[in-house]
Amino acid sequence: MKPEDLLRHPLPTQTPKLTLGCPILDRFLGGGIPCDTITEIFAESGTGKTQLSLQLLLAAQLPISRGGLSASSLYLHSEFPFPSRRLHQLSFYRPHLPQNPLDRIFVEPLHSTDHLLDVLPRLDFLVPKLNIKLIVIDSIAALFRGEYENTPLELKRRSGVFFKISSKLKFLAREFGLAVVLTNQVVDVMGSSNNLRIGNSMSLCSSGRTVCAALGLSWANCVNMRLFMWREEEKVGMSEEERLGEGDGSFQRLQTRRFIRVVFAPHLPDSSCEFVIRREGILGVS
Amino acid sequence: MEVSSLPISASHRGKLISAGYSSLSSLSSVSPSKLAQDLKISENEGHRKNTLRVDISPPLQSGIPFGVPVPPSPFGCFRLPSLVPSGRPTRLRIVGQPFSPAITRAQTAWDILHEEESSICITTSCSDLDEILGGGIRCKEVTEIGGVPGIGKTQLGIQLAVNVQIPADYGGLGGKAIYIDTEGSFMVERASQIAEACAEDMLEYNSLLRKDSQACRVDKPPKAFMDNIFYFRICTYTEQIAVVNYLEKFINEHKDIKIVIIDSITFHFRQEFEDMALRTRLLSGMALKLMKLAKKFNLAVVLLNQVTTKYNEGSFQLTLALGDSWAHASTNRSYCTGMAMRGMHISTNHPPCDQRQLHMQ
Repeated sequence: MKPEDLLRHPLPTQTPKLTLGCPILDRFLGGGIPCDTITEIFAESGTGKTQLSLQLLLAAQLPISRGGLSASSLYLHSEFPFPSRRLHQLSFYRPHLPQNPLDRIFVEPLHSTDHLLDVLPRLDFLVPKLNIKLIVIDSIAALFRGEYENTPLELKRRSGVFFKISSKLKFLAREFGLAVVLTNQVVDVMGSSNNLRIGNSMSLCSSGRTVCAALGLSWANCVNMRLFMWREEEKVGMSEEERLGEGDGSFQRLQTRRFIRVVFAPHLPDSSCEFVIRREGILGVS
Repeated sequence: MEVSSLPISASHRGKLISAGYSSLSSLSSVSPSKLAQDLKISENEGHRKNTLRVDISPPLQSGIPFGVPVPPSPFGCFRLPSLVPSGRPTRLRIVGQPFSPAITRAQTAWDILHEEESSICITTSCSDLDEILGGGIRCKEVTEIGGVPGIGKTQLGIQLAVNVQIPADYGGLGGKAIYIDTEGSFMVERASQIAEACAEDMLEYNSLLRKDSQACRVDKPPKAFMDNIFYFRICTYTEQIAVVNYLEKFINEHKDIKIVIIDSITFHFRQEFEDMALRTRLLSGMALKLMKLAKKFNLAVVLLNQVTTKYNEGSFQLTLALGDSWAHASTNRSYCTGMAMRGMHISTNHPPCDQRQLHMQ
């Protein structure tokens, strides 16, 4: 390695991106998930993180002209079981996929952070051999929860592990032009902790709770781009009587609306977009 | 030239040597009263005393000949006294002697102040931030800017990489930029957007203020901006150190580089280092190299840093990463916190401002 080799001049005009499979969501993300960066999606459970990850696993196999990466993907999951049936169902609704799309999705279960640190060096030769261009880790938070105590020393050790993992993933991303997507969980924000704003300068709400991403400030420094998905319950379909306040109020339909927004990204402004989860997958709503 | 070969009386020569002044370079940097004190002779002028007149002409660069009267400046201009000898004045005018390089670069504080005031700063495109920084990012200085993730550090870095290229006609430096990316946050699409906006600003300035459309019509397409940014992407701390060491050679080949941005300086050093002493050595070595680069090539160095929590007296506080020993590496440190969605609270140790609040878009 020579320092001259690290210079990229002239710069490329565009970063390659991976489509999400829906033009509205792609426009929201400025083309899709960018390669050579780490994207984190965090949300409450049941919002659609895994659905989106599965959708990306299939989209990576699309030809580049259709926004894919024309390559295989790797799915590292720490939450069990692996949703194979849903993946199979999704593959029926994706046109333009090559034959046997499930053959090009490699799955590895993760049990702990040490296991992840063992798997990562193996990827140095697995990724070019299997032509992998997308790595999804679902979820990174589950690996760390319960392993470290809440003392300052343990937290410091934990953040050292964050940087090690993130550094290795970024190395792989640069070396092989990968897109890396991680999913994360949320934690509740208690009261007004003004003396410790951990990077989310805005308050994020999901299902009525004020939340922020798990794993804290150190982890927030490790990712390039952060997306937040949330859902809200909305009362819909009030009949004329109820609107006038004459109905008995016992019948109320609640509809769940889901949104995704950019928390921070180097190339995107703060914006949000609504989406729905259908049989075909996640689709944006304009 | 040695003092022993000066045409002065033996007793004076002996006094000089015993006081420790054996070469002319040591004489030229000493203050008049100190010299007199060391030699134990009076510095009165025009007295019939056994005194010595020593006039040493200054290094060529400072531009103030000691022979002519210089108005006293608050920083104390150094002028050797005209110690009138009794009888024969032995004026030693040593002009054009090759001084050692260390002394030829010596400047008086007056010079340095003048140079600082007249130097052009690189604007950050935010007038409030420019004000806090004293006009903008200065050359010959290392500026460190830190903040929570998502606050806009990379945006600021890209903005500076574009703004340094503003031609001199428009009040900029007209230089090129080196952008060292350790995290992978640099997105070419965003840089193109910023470059386009800068080009549009320049066109607008052109049409509004310079009604005479002469040869100063500088048409800089955004691609020209992108070509002037030398982008290094590094993934390990060894690569980071290698690139910082390589910078001197690189800048020698590309003389018009005026800013080096490192985004971010701390990422690869926050892993677990088995040997923390090694980490400190590596970091301080890097800091010294960057300071030397800034001074030698007259360019600005901007370091973007992360924040971490420090457990202090029972509560957690946000502080810039890498600890106290790193804090001495930079000339100015600005720390941005997020208070509202689009607001930034900046505290800096750059005089004369302590804390200012400003809103950035």
